[in-house]
Amino acid sequence: MKFLAVIRQVPDGESRLRIEGGKVDLSSVTMILDQMDEWAVEEVIRLQEKHGGESVVVALGPERFEDALRTALAMGIDRAIHLVAEGYLDPITQAEALAEVVRAEAPTLVFTGGQQADWDAQALGPALAEALGWPVVSWTTQVELEGETHAKARHDLDEGAEVVRVPLPAVFTSQQGLNEPRYPTLPGIMKAKRKELKKVPVSLQSRVEILEQAIQERARLNRMIDGKDPAAAAHELVRLLREEAKVI
Amino acid sequence: MILVVLEHDGQRLRKGALEAIGRARQLGSLGPIAGVVIGENAQAVAQEAARYLPVVYAAEVGPYTAEKWAEAAYAAVERSGAKVVVATGGRQSRTWTARLAYKMRAGLLEDTLETSTDGQHIIGTRYSYLNRVTERQKAPLPVVFTAKPNTTPPVEPEGNGTVELLEVNLPGGVEVLERLSEQKKGVSLTEATVVVTGGRGLGSPEAFAGVEELAGMLGGAVGATRAVVDAGWRPYSEQVGQTGKTVQPNLYLALAVSGAVQHQAGMNKSKFIAAVNKDPEAPIFKIADYGIVGDVHQVLPALIEAVKRLKD
Repeated sequence: MKFLAVIRQVPDGESRLRIEGGKVDLSSVTMILDQMDEWAVEEVIRLQEKHGGESVVVALGPERFEDALRTALAMGIDRAIHLVAEGYLDPITQAEALAEVVRAEAPTLVFTGGQQADWDAQALGPALAEALGWPVVSWTTQVELEGETHAKARHDLDEGAEVVRVPLPAVFTSQQGLNEPRYPTLPGIMKAKRKELKKVPVSLQSRVEILEQAIQERARLNRMIDGKDPAAAAHELVRLLREEAKVI
Repeated sequence: MILVVLEHDGQRLRKGALEAIGRARQLGSLGPIAGVVIGENAQAVAQEAARYLPVVYAAEVGPYTAEKWAEAAYAAVERSGAKVVVATGGRQSRTWTARLAYKMRAGLLEDTLETSTDGQHIIGTRYSYLNRVTERQKAPLPVVFTAKPNTTPPVEPEGNGTVELLEVNLPGGVEVLERLSEQKKGVSLTEATVVVTGGRGLGSPEAFAGVEELAGMLGGAVGATRAVVDAGWRPYSEQVGQTGKTVQPNLYLALAVSGAVQHQAGMNKSKFIAAVNKDPEAPIFKIADYGIVGDVHQVLPALIEAVKRLKD
């Protein structure tokens, strides 16, 4: 069996974003393996630990993505493939390029993040499934293989959740609760440096163009009320919400 | 031609469907609008939809899977010749619209706040970077886009359209074994105009009784932080944040919520934010309009009292 994770590298949610020339400037931002992709990597490693076979991580993105791929290798993935491309690419275009690699690898299943923490896109997993002609299970919180042909999974819907049986190969996207990712160990990090990381330059044309980005933070009133006298403070807050904000 | 995929609950159209029609009407220069109702009881719901649209297709494909929805929407695209598809943004729709956009080799704009056209392209505004950045995207036709709920006024009925049955070749694949629905009380979190959220600082699941009471008095919904959901105090369906729901109410009242970036991603676009926290340095105060520095166990009962007095 072969288990494959598709990952991306994104800004750490804690870092401060800046806009330069109408676009987000990432030059001074700490970049990390996307948290939702980290769940995907962890699940792929667990499936390999349980069922044997091989694990592969694939990414489509600029040179800097190599760090995120090394993190996945340090966590325990066997080898990595990096499609190197600069700039914004819409999920449909990403899926087209990634599907070629996935088809050639012919894994038992593919796991990727439920939502990207930079482009806030949820479409990559399902678009990749469509490109491959495979079923998709999005927002997965639990997955178990039933032999080599099927998997049973639990995943979130708009309201509530459901348990499904899905024929393999299939694409799964991750959701909180799926697992608790391991930290890379020092020996793991050392080993990752020697693991195979294949780079393939690709040239792609995005269907969607980003015209302009801005940080429109709502100006907040930041009015503070001392809570030493809880009754007076509560009364004042309710008054402000009623008379000033007019929201209750 | 524009196609609107109409959300429904098996009986009636959802508010999001009327908002999506509103979005389609804003693009009127691209031609007439057709609708499609997919799923159980599609024909009956399509009759209701025909009060809003001249043509509504009905695809009776049974319970939801992303594959069935994408296939049915694609059949409606082929039948109508639509170059633009509009759907309401949600977890499920953002799964099947991705499949549909790939089938059409269309540009996909996810969770848009507003959309316009120059006749050749769709230009959409949306949030990115965990809801912190507002961006404008542009894609040449064909385009599939989802409309974020609560961003467009719902439309009124106009006229009497026709319903046409749509034949769909049902794809195999996902087999639903069990639906696990969460019982809902009161207003839904994403549609509520007031959200009262409790954080770990409340100390116990029992303390949420006060949160529920206050939310009920304000006609709002209860929200929870990830820490509270992880601790098993509240159901996941109430979680606000990056991996939970994104809300944009008139009032977001955060009780004992520290306000991590991941939480802010789900609520930072609220019209007014009020917070109660004992730590004056809590990040939530930086984005709050009103803040009380104090002990939530004393302030929450006092707030309930104050709102009660207001109602009297």
